[in-house]
Amino acid sequence: MNTVIDRIGDLLSQLQSPDYYEREEAVKELGTYSQDEAVAGLVIAMEDPDLGIRELAADFLSQLSGPTAVQLLIRFLAHDDIGTRNLASEILVKIGNDAVEPLIEHLTVDDHDVRKFICDILGLIGDERAVDALCERLWDDNGNVVCSAAEALGEIGSPRAVTSLLAVYDKIDDVRLQAVEAIGKIGDPAALDALYQYMQSPDPMIKYAALEAIGTIGDARSVEKLTPVLTDADRLIAEVAMMAIIRISDRNQDKIDIDLPLNEFQEFLFDGIRNRNEEITRFTLKRLSHWFGSDVIRGLLDVVDFVDDDTLTEVTGILGQVGPSAGKLMTEKIKTGSTGLKLKLLDVIKQFVDESMAEELLPLVADPDPEVRQRVAHVLGIAGYDGAIDSLTNLTTDPIGHVRSAAYSALGWLCTESRADLLFTGLDDRYPDVRDAAMGALIVIGGRPVVEGFTRDLNHENPERQRLAVTALGWIGEYDVVRPLLSAINNPDPSIRRSAINSLTRIGQVDDLEPIVMALSDENSAVRKAAVTALLTLQGEEAIGEVRVLLEDEDVWVRYHTISTIGELGSRRYAEYILPYLDDEQDIIKIAAAKALAQLGNRSALPALERLRSEKNQDLAAAAELAVQQLGGKK
Amino acid sequence: MDIQAREENGVAVLSLSGRLDLASGSQLKDEIKKYLEKNVTSIHLNLAKVEFINSSGLGSLVSIMKEIRLLKGRFTMSDLASYVREIFEITQLSHIFEIFATEEEALTSYQTPVTPS
Repeated sequence: MNTVIDRIGDLLSQLQSPDYYEREEAVKELGTYSQDEAVAGLVIAMEDPDLGIRELAADFLSQLSGPTAVQLLIRFLAHDDIGTRNLASEILVKIGNDAVEPLIEHLTVDDHDVRKFICDILGLIGDERAVDALCERLWDDNGNVVCSAAEALGEIGSPRAVTSLLAVYDKIDDVRLQAVEAIGKIGDPAALDALYQYMQSPDPMIKYAALEAIGTIGDARSVEKLTPVLTDADRLIAEVAMMAIIRISDRNQDKIDIDLPLNEFQEFLFDGIRNRNEEITRFTLKRLSHWFGSDVIRGLLDVVDFVDDDTLTEVTGILGQVGPSAGKLMTEKIKTGSTGLKLKLLDVIKQFVDESMAEELLPLVADPDPEVRQRVAHVLGIAGYDGAIDSLTNLTTDPIGHVRSAAYSALGWLCTESRADLLFTGLDDRYPDVRDAAMGALIVIGGRPVVEGFTRDLNHENPERQRLAVTALGWIGEYDVVRPLLSAINNPDPSIRRSAINSLTRIGQVDDLEPIVMALSDENSAVRKAAVTALLTLQGEEAIGEVRVLLEDEDVWVRYHTISTIGELGSRRYAEYILPYLDDEQDIIKIAAAKALAQLGNRSALPALERLRSEKNQDLAAAAELAVQQLGGKK
Repeated sequence: MDIQAREENGVAVLSLSGRLDLASGSQLKDEIKKYLEKNVTSIHLNLAKVEFINSSGLGSLVSIMKEIRLLKGRFTMSDLASYVREIFEITQLSHIFEIFATEEEALTSYQTPVTPS
């Protein structure tokens, strides 16, 4: 033990060394001991001429805490050097709760500066044990101590201090402001009646602090007291009253049901949104759904560039609700807004755009941003504005594919048969999404010229045009597309033959089934499958004679598909066609047969199905089990 | 095509079934016109049972939408079968029609209060 004490003695001597590094080493080692002597050494180092050493010592002291450190540090609060005093205060705050009792004991020392420092430190520590001692200091002879005590009580936030703060407000003029501010921070509704009185104070600072305190307390009943202040001649006071109402509204989940002269506070509210004040933003946006004149919308449009993404979404949602009445303002704003704003507002405007708004938006087709051009093309199409046809036509030669795609779609929505030729040129675009958009537009337009154009395209030299033609004719779906689609079943490209059959299946009104029957023997299995589906869908059971041939198709998947499709007919008399396939050499066919027989509902299949339940192939066994259950067989 | 119509909270709800083509598109337009003449400009179509829609049917929907827009009304749809959804995507009409997954969601959206001062 003596060895440690001896070592600490050496380190204390080392603290007097002129060499910075020796002193630094001494402090570092002293920081590793917990003995009072070492603590004293660190405290001595707090007076080192070098700031680095002082801060190092302070750091160790704040970690050590303990009664010796606290007592010694409190002594430094009376130090001549302000830097040392501040450092000691800082460490005591860091030590926190362990320092509270010793600090309270020193609150009555003779030195009023020390008393003031201790009040400040206790406020920063925020421990409620200090409340009574600080309340006593409210009656200190020294004004600075009183103010610091009031501020500290506000920081601690205990309602126990309210009575003393109200009392000191009445007795000492110089502490009124701090007392009201402290009451506000404490937030105890018991202080409200007094605050309503302070609100009438001729001193604007007191009035301001009282209004802020009322807002912080957040009691809904205060709103009616605050409302008259909204017309105060002092604009700052009126705005603080409005801010207090906003806080109260926020605290009460916006359940404040009172008419407010919001128009008088537009600038204040929109400034609040612009400065990202969350309470003001929430308050204002909530009211916008039932508070919108042109000035308000203009104000809102002016701040949308300043809000975060979530708020912007909320703002655009509100603008959408406001609807056409804000349309003109929005179209004005959109022309000068940022790209982000243009995109957002175009999304809003599309909900209610009419021809006059569309006309205003026409210049945006020349916007430098392709996303804006793309979106405005959509909006013009949605507006149904024929005056946009020329601009949209120009956009079909835009260098950006997405823009061309949007322009073609919009022309389709405008149902402009007169531009069908132009839309057909889009089918040769180098990008597939543009070709698809042009095809989609032609589908919407439909009619004889379009059908004739696509019918010609079935023999186009470009296979892609053939593909688009057969797809489009299928979706156009009018009676006059049936003949061209039937002819497309002879197309050399199997994907076109299949697509034609699928389209005919969907259209469902086909009086000549011969080409589809012929397709049952197509060289391509996908075409044969499509033909099976088509015939059974279009003809139902009448087609069974032709289709059953494919139960023996060379392609296993055609056989599978045929079995499945016959199953979908749901008529038990076709079970006899399917039953033999429960013994097929391929398990996948057995599975298809099991499922089909269950759908056909013929119990004569049960013995064979029950046998298959013990198959090693688990998929087959499961299909058989399910079929047995569906047919009501033995479990 | 069969059209079942009813009014709910000021919204005309029309449930269509069958094929939406030239003839039925015209029938639908006539049905909706009756509501527009009564100043019911909130129109919702439930397309759950529409099994076929062709070019003329699409044209009818576009034309109905334009007419409702002119009257500052609102036109919504819901319960699109995959086949109908596919043609709406191909033609990009999904961008211009207000489409909801269910009729309930669509009708709820009409309840958002907008009360200009």
